[in-house]
Amino acid sequence: MSLTLDRVTFAYPDGPTVLENASLTFEAGSFVLVRGPSGAGKSTVLRLLCQLEEPQSGRILFRGHPVDTMVPAELRRAVSYVQQMPTLLTGTVRENLLLPFSFKANGALTPPTDEKLNAQLVSFLLQDVSLDSRGDNLSVGQSQRICLIRSLLLKPEVVLLDEPTASLDAASAKIVLDKAAELSGKGMTVIMISHSEVTPKGVTHEVRINDHTLAYA
Amino acid sequence: MTPGIIEISPWQLLLCLGFVLLAGGASVYHKLGLGRDLLVGTVRTFAQLFLMGYVLTFIFETHTSWLVLLMFTFMVAAAVHIIKGRVKEHSVPFLIPTFVSMLISYSLVSYIVTAVIVGAKPWWTPQYFIPLAGMIVGNSMTAISIALERLFSDLKARRNEVEMRLALGADYREASQDILRNAIKAGMIPSINSLMAVGLVSLPGMMTGQILSGTDPLIAIRYQIVVMLMLVASTALGAIIVTGLVRRRCFSDAQRLIVR
Repeated sequence: MSLTLDRVTFAYPDGPTVLENASLTFEAGSFVLVRGPSGAGKSTVLRLLCQLEEPQSGRILFRGHPVDTMVPAELRRAVSYVQQMPTLLTGTVRENLLLPFSFKANGALTPPTDEKLNAQLVSFLLQDVSLDSRGDNLSVGQSQRICLIRSLLLKPEVVLLDEPTASLDAASAKIVLDKAAELSGKGMTVIMISHSEVTPKGVTHEVRINDHTLAYA
Repeated sequence: MTPGIIEISPWQLLLCLGFVLLAGGASVYHKLGLGRDLLVGTVRTFAQLFLMGYVLTFIFETHTSWLVLLMFTFMVAAAVHIIKGRVKEHSVPFLIPTFVSMLISYSLVSYIVTAVIVGAKPWWTPQYFIPLAGMIVGNSMTAISIALERLFSDLKARRNEVEMRLALGADYREASQDILRNAIKAGMIPSINSLMAVGLVSLPGMMTGQILSGTDPLIAIRYQIVVMLMLVASTALGAIIVTGLVRRRCFSDAQRLIVR
């Protein structure tokens, strides 16, 4: 389940270089915190790992296979990216949670029952949120947790969290961080960007971005 | 002189320059700085229309199909050039798909109108084919540039939403279906609105022209109805095909949004 960047160089069009010859392996089952100055390219690393960006040179390997040879939907089901700003569509919480199951590529998956969805809401301390309530009326903290549940319903092997606690209050942030530690404890690889100086419990490794390269701290 | 038409002599045409002088005077008086544009615009109007007049006379006289189709291809190319100027997105190559789809779909619509509805024999008779095809291309040009502009601006503004869907396993179609729908709608709305306003707010140019040249208004309106309906079809067709082809180019094979 390891994810590897192999001599990756990346720059945005007409933008400065973000990564230059960067190499690093994220080991399966680890809980990795990615740190670096703002604008250093932390989000870009996560976006490269799920192919929302493509490197100009170098390769990204998942389970030893180059990701650009994989079916994009399969890669993204296994390596799930949760955006920094939670994005929910107008519609109920249930519709938002079941959205991935409406996509052709996920057609073989069985959509979870209401019972399972409710159990997930409870485990993220969202017992007060009804599946029939409107997704666009939730607080940012609640929306972020709904987005995380939505990704986890696809049973990914790796979850990429892009500053999941950036716009959350302390209580919501703690719930998300505890959940991340719990997932990693169950064998899921968690790669998380953090701005905070505090290291959450359960973190096994820290990676720093400096001078366009990646290295374990 | 054609019976029923009052011809405009060169002197009368020169008299019309008085209108431009009026506008120029207003520009000087109010310091609008539009004098140069007015001058260039007036010269271009004379030059372009006289040129078109001679080209059309030549095409009407030679009466050969390939010349008519060459003229049509030129009109489409000019329309694509204008679309290029209006659409402010250049990271996605959209000119060739736009040109090809406009050329194919509008030759089809123009053929149906001249051959089946108007019943011109042969179907490419320049007197019918060129003005009708010209209206199709001109109106669809506006529809396509509105639709493309909307497609690109929505893909940028709603990037988070598109990428959220991609990250959850959507393909580019699933990730952008609302955006495509809105773009097509935006392109079609002006021609649908004109269905409502025609005859009340405006007398369309072609009908006005026919009436001025002595055609019975009841015949002129029939032509106008054909034109209005064919424009609805061609703007819909143009907006759907072009946005569909261009949307594909906004995403990489790895289902990654390229437009920034």
